[in-house]
Parts: sequence; C-alpha cells; structure tokens
Amino acid sequence: MEILIYGAVTSAIYAMLAVGFTLIFGVARVLNLAHGSFYALGAYGTYVGTGILGLPLWQAAVLAIAFVALFGVIVEKVLIRPLRYSQLGVLMITLAVSLVVEQALFLIFGSEYRNVPAFIDTKLSIGGVDVAGQRLLTLLVAVVSIGALYLFIQRTRLGSAILAISQDAEAAKYMGIPSDRIFSLVMAISASLAALAGVLAGPFLSVQPSMHLLPIVKAFAIVIVGGLGSIPGSILAALMLGYAETLVAYLVSTSWTEIVSVLATLLMLVFRPAGFFGKRAAF
Amino acid sequence: MSGFKQLDKLSGAAGATALLLLAAAPLVFPGTYLIGVLTVAAIYGIWAVSWDFMSGLTGRENFGHSLFIGVGAYAAGFLNVQMELGPWWSLPVSMLLAMGFAVLLGFPTLRLKGPYFALAMLSAAVIMQRLMLIFWEHTGGEEGIQDIAPLIRNHLHYYWFVLALLGVITFLLGWLARSRWGLILRAIRGDEATCLAAGIPITTYKIVSLVISAAFAGLGGALYAHYQLQVSPQLFAVVTSVTIITMVYVGGMGTIFGPVGGALLLTLLTEGLRNVGEWRLMVYSVLLILIIFFLPDGVIAPLWRRLRVAVGGKP
Amino acid sequence: MSEILLEVEGLDKRFGGLHAVKNVNMTIARGEIVGILGPNGAGKTTMFNLLTNFIAPDAGKVVFNGQSLRGVKPHKIVTLGVARTFQLCRPFVGLSVLENVLVGSLGPRVHHPDLGERAMQLLSQVGLAAKADTPAELLSYGDLRRLEIARALAAEPELLMLDEPFAGLGSSEIEAISALIRQLHAEKNLTILLIEHKLREFMQLVSRVIALDFGEVIAEGLPAEIVSNPRVIEAYIGKQDPVAVVS
Repeated sequence: MEILIYGAVTSAIYAMLAVGFTLIFGVARVLNLAHGSFYALGAYGTYVGTGILGLPLWQAAVLAIAFVALFGVIVEKVLIRPLRYSQLGVLMITLAVSLVVEQALFLIFGSEYRNVPAFIDTKLSIGGVDVAGQRLLTLLVAVVSIGALYLFIQRTRLGSAILAISQDAEAAKYMGIPSDRIFSLVMAISASLAALAGVLAGPFLSVQPSMHLLPIVKAFAIVIVGGLGSIPGSILAALMLGYAETLVAYLVSTSWTEIVSVLATLLMLVFRPAGFFGKRAAF
Repeated sequence: MSGFKQLDKLSGAAGATALLLLAAAPLVFPGTYLIGVLTVAAIYGIWAVSWDFMSGLTGRENFGHSLFIGVGAYAAGFLNVQMELGPWWSLPVSMLLAMGFAVLLGFPTLRLKGPYFALAMLSAAVIMQRLMLIFWEHTGGEEGIQDIAPLIRNHLHYYWFVLALLGVITFLLGWLARSRWGLILRAIRGDEATCLAAGIPITTYKIVSLVISAAFAGLGGALYAHYQLQVSPQLFAVVTSVTIITMVYVGGMGTIFGPVGGALLLTLLTEGLRNVGEWRLMVYSVLLILIIFFLPDGVIAPLWRRLRVAVGGKP
Repeated sequence: MSEILLEVEGLDKRFGGLHAVKNVNMTIARGEIVGILGPNGAGKTTMFNLLTNFIAPDAGKVVFNGQSLRGVKPHKIVTLGVARTFQLCRPFVGLSVLENVLVGSLGPRVHHPDLGERAMQLLSQVGLAAKADTPAELLSYGDLRRLEIARALAAEPELLMLDEPFAGLGSSEIEAISALIRQLHAEKNLTILLIEHKLREFMQLVSRVIALDFGEVIAEGLPAEIVSNPRVIEAYIGKQDPVAVVS
C-alpha cells in the first residue's frame, strides 16, 4: 500500500517535469537541458520568499513560479532561439545554462540543504498508511495542473495553435499563427510546471544546488520512453518510471533507483527510439 | 595534387616548436607547481584531441566522453592497487578496456541522430558513475581508489613523458584527420545517405573512430590516475565532458591541433582562477555560452590561420 | 545480343496498406540507356531504393552481373558496380566540390595513382572544374546535379542509376545534362537506368522505356511506342495533364 501511494507521488512529480519537457520539444523541437534548473529555481525561489523575504508561503510560491516562467522565456528568446537551427547547439547551451544556474545557487546559498516550508504540515492516514499531507497535495496538484493543461490544449484556440505548430511549424506560420510568441508561451508553461513541482516537492525532496541533475535525467528518460512530443506518453511513462523506482527502492535498495531511469533511457533509445507513443523517431 | 588536405610544413613546424617550448618551460621556471599544471594541461590535451577526432570531425558530439576517461582511470586503479600489478600495465589495459566499451556502446548508439547520441552517451556515463558508487566495496565508493603508484617518480620526467605522448597522439590523429579517414568522417557529417551511395560503410567508420577516440581517452585516464595517485567517481561526471568540450570549442572543432591550445589555455585559466575557486565552473559555463554564440569556430584555430597568412603561408 | 547486366524478377514492397511496388519484372542489357517513366507516386524512386537496398524488398530477385543483390548492404552494392544518385541532391556539406567527388572515389573499383587528379578529370567532364574548391552547399541546382553525377561516376560503376536528373531544371540546363549523359554513356560504356516523369527528355535520350503506374509495369518498349500506348496515356491523364507526356 505504501508503494502504491509513494509510487503515485513520485510519478506525479515526474509527470509534471516530463510534460513540460515534452511540450517544449513537441512545439519547438528544443531539448531543454535547463529544465531541471526551473525545478531547482522553483524550490529555491520559495525558500528565498519565505526564509529571506518573510512572505507567506502562498505569495512566495506564486512569485517563485512567476520568476521562473520569466526566466524561462528570457532564456528561450535570448539563448535558444538564435540556435534553433542546430539541435546540438541548443543542447550545449541549455546544458551550460543549467551549470551556470547550479553554480550561481552554490555561490549564493552554499551547498547545505535548504528548508522549504510545506503547505500542509500534518500527516494523513490513508488505508492504514501514514502519508505526509504535502505529498498528497503534490499528487493532487499534479493531476489538476496536467489535466488543466490538457484541456487548455484540446479546447482553446490558443491550444489549437500550439498543436498546429507542433505538427508543422512552417504551415502554421503560413496560416498566420505567431509562432515566436507561442514559443514563449509554451516555454512559460513548461517552466511554470517545473517550478510548481519544485515548490511542492521542495519540502520533502532535497534542496541543494545540484538538485537539477536528477530531474532532468529522469524527465529525459520519461520523455524518451513515452515518446518525444506526446503528453499522454509522458504521463504513462512517468507512472511506469515512478512505480519502477519506488519498487526498486523498496525491494532492492535506494542506491539503485537512479539507474532505473537512466537504464530505461538507454534501452529505449537503443530498441525503440520513437518511444511508445512518439511521433518523431530519434533517427 | 592529391586533393587531400595536407599538413603543411608551417603548421607542423609550429606544432613541433610549441611542443619544445612546453617541454622547456619548467626548466626556465622551475618548481613542481608549474610542472603539475602543465602535466594536467597535457592530459586534458590528450582528452580534448581524442574527443575532437571523433566528435569534431563527424559532428556527433559525444557527451559521455568522461565514461572512457573514467574507465581508463579506474582500470589503472584496479590493476595497481587491487591487483597489485606494476603501474606500466595500466597503459595498454586502460586503452583496451576503453576500446571495448566504445564497441559495446557504439553499435547501438551511433545510428541515433546527433542529440540522441549525445544524450545516450551522457546517460551511459551517468550509469557508470552510479555503478562505481553502488559497488562501493570494490571501487571505493565516493572516495574511490587511493594510493596508486606513480609511473615515473620524477615529476619533470613524467611531465615530459606525458607531453611526448600528447605530441605523438596529436600528430597521429592530426595526420589521420587530414587523410582519407578525415575526409570520410567529414563526409559522414555532411550526409550519411550520400555516403552510403558513395560506397562508404559508415557504421564501420563511425565505430572505429569512436574506438580510437575512446582508446586515447582511456589512456589519458590512466595517465591521470598515475598523476593524481587516486581516482574517484567524479571523473565520470558531466562536468568533465563539458570541460573537454569547451576546450575543443575554444581550440576549434575538427582541427585536432586547436584543442591542444584550448586545453592549455583553459587549464591555465583555471589555475589563474584558483583564488576564486568556487567561481571556476561558473566561468567555464559562461565561457562556453559566449563561445557558442560569438566564436563558433573557436579561438585558437582561427588565430593560427591569421598568423599563418600573415607569415606568408596559405590561408 | 548484349549480355544481361541487371535482372529483376517479382520485386515487391508494401508499406502498411500501400502496395508501393507490385511484382515488377525488368531486364537491362549492358550498354542500354533505359528510362523508367511514371507519374508521381508510381513507385519509381521506391524501386530504386529497393534495387540498391536502401529499403529492403518484401520479395523478388535482383541479379546484377550474375550476382544476387538481395541483402547486400547499400554501400557494398556500390563496390559491385552500381551507383545511384538522389532526387534531392544532398552533397557533403562542409566539403568542397572536389572533396565531394573524392569521397566517391575511395572504393575498391578505383585504381588510379592520383585520386585528386582523377577527381579533377571527372569534374572537367561534368563541367565543374572551375568550381573545384567551392563549398558544395553553395552550388546552384543545376551544378548540384552535375556534382551528383560526378560523385556517382567516381566510384567507377558499370550501372549508373539516375533519379530524376532533370527535376527542377530549366530547359537549357536539361539539354546540357542530357548531352552530358549521352556523352558519358558513349565514352565510358556505361549502362544507364534513369527515372523521369517528363517524357520529352526521354524521347531523345533513352533507347527503351519501362512505364510504371501504381507500382506495376504497365508498358515497355521504344519511346515512340510508349507515347502512344493507351494505358500510359490514361495513367497520365488520370493524374496530371497529357501535355506533360507528349510535349
């Protein structure tokens, strides 16, 4: 039972990260290695808001997410867009950005773990298992936010524009869709989701400068397994990976959990580069 | 004319001169500090050159180069400490082991498009790093393997040994890059389907060049192990690969000789920044960003080309 | 009676529900210039891909010079004496025109003491000698086609397969390339298999036409016969305008 719940929470966090990652790839063909930094900045932003600026948690969280969204848009406009002709170039530059952010966090805050307050401090009991309320909240928020995003894309005009661009960027331009502005919007959404994950998970996952690495490795794993550019694929793969990791942690040992995702990536890339639902193959 | 790019005499002479100057430097400025810095620079040079030969020419950027380095280094550690063999065994074994990994990883990953190959290799390096930590009883975990014996006790002589290897490897790979090997690798970068239509077995060439790249990376790893006298999982980290890639960018992708200059420059820069130790990585990353944007051809190679023209050589 | 260079029997390929190439039989004798004609989507390029194993056929025999080509990797087929060009020319970006041809001449069929000189000769033949040092990506469309031909020739092939060599070219360019092909055929005793969907060019160049539609061979014969063949005309009228066939 514990596995069921913890697995769900883990999957929820991964899903939030993966969906954002796959969204920006599906729309702009950008493999954003700085995505993990959005997650980290969400957590650190909340810490700064509450710990240093003394704001209430809600305000700090909202500010942090807004800040990260803005940061993401700026990075996209200034650093990524000029290099869009080269996927490798984008890879290098986002990797460099993630390193710069990590270093900046390290220089400003040092390497000790920081404390991000939780929205819900109490433990709840579900099915005989004690679960931290915060974890359940994370699960809830993840489901709501991803659901909202899905509805947004399927039901609104803006959402249709996004879908159009992800299918054929050139054609979308001819139809008058302002792709540049949509890229910024999608980046903002993508970054916000990651930051939200950071805000929610900060209290129970470690907050230190290198916290961006593992999420990006896992987001990449999920997106490769689920298929680049496919949101349902990401959700499915996030569930698979979240549960796989939780199972490994309980049955084998926690040190092996990291390998699960990376191994999954490698194996998937080797045997089925398009992933389960992917539209674009890796070759 | 044979049509292949020639290693013109001017460049060759310049390279030889640079090598001599580097060898002589510690004699002019004595002290183990300089020797240490230059030794590390030379080893990074070997790593950078080996990366450039494969990734610089084919355009398939390998984000997991640190895997071959770590494998070579750990091989040295194992042989020397766990198996108590003499240190000279490390050199051939590290090369062979790294080459083996290259074959193993190359087959499945080289058919992937650029970014996916890069990330697959990155994942492989991360896995290796994790494995070193998981099997800590055999590998020493976080602390790695300590008390590795040096190859040559005298620091200066070891430096000259490493420098000599750097020279040999650079000239060898530089020559290869300008021969039909290099032409084919650059053609692979140009268009793979057309290569097939021209009769070139691209998979073979890609794998062999990865193997060559890995061999020298592993050798460098062993040399590093016998210099630092210890190895740790940090060698497998992304940071190592990114540092090397930055050095190649600075030197000039695909030029083979440029990356040596890049390695030297950046190692000296790192030392210069030692006072602001924590800022080093930051500087590297920002530097990388700037170079990708403003100097995609690098610093060293274009500079050398201008110098060459100024002295009357060909452009 | 010339010897048979290429024999194709029962070549077949499906892509999911699409039966792209249906049971194609074909015989090419040495020294011929044969044209493969058909509207867009008839399966011509797919057939080229099948013959050279860029795509694996589902069924069929392909025998070149007495040797089966089934299962032979594309790059190995070149060493056996078959060279092909692509409809969308993709030169080696980053390499000069000369280097592009040089890459083509690295195979085992080439025995020449100075590959660079040989490459220059080939470039002269196709009219690109002056642009030897130009980066390939800067060439005009017509020049790219010439480069493709030079690159294919560099491998010293016996059979040259040209995929729509005139696509996207103006009429004077077409005449020039047509003349080039005729010249090369004569000088090097090449056998040429050529895809086009504009019959006019064929009329002057080829000695025999094989017409395809929806993946099957619908007619075969001299150019004059094909032009008046009712099935061929129907295939074209059904798809595009008949002017393309006879103009």
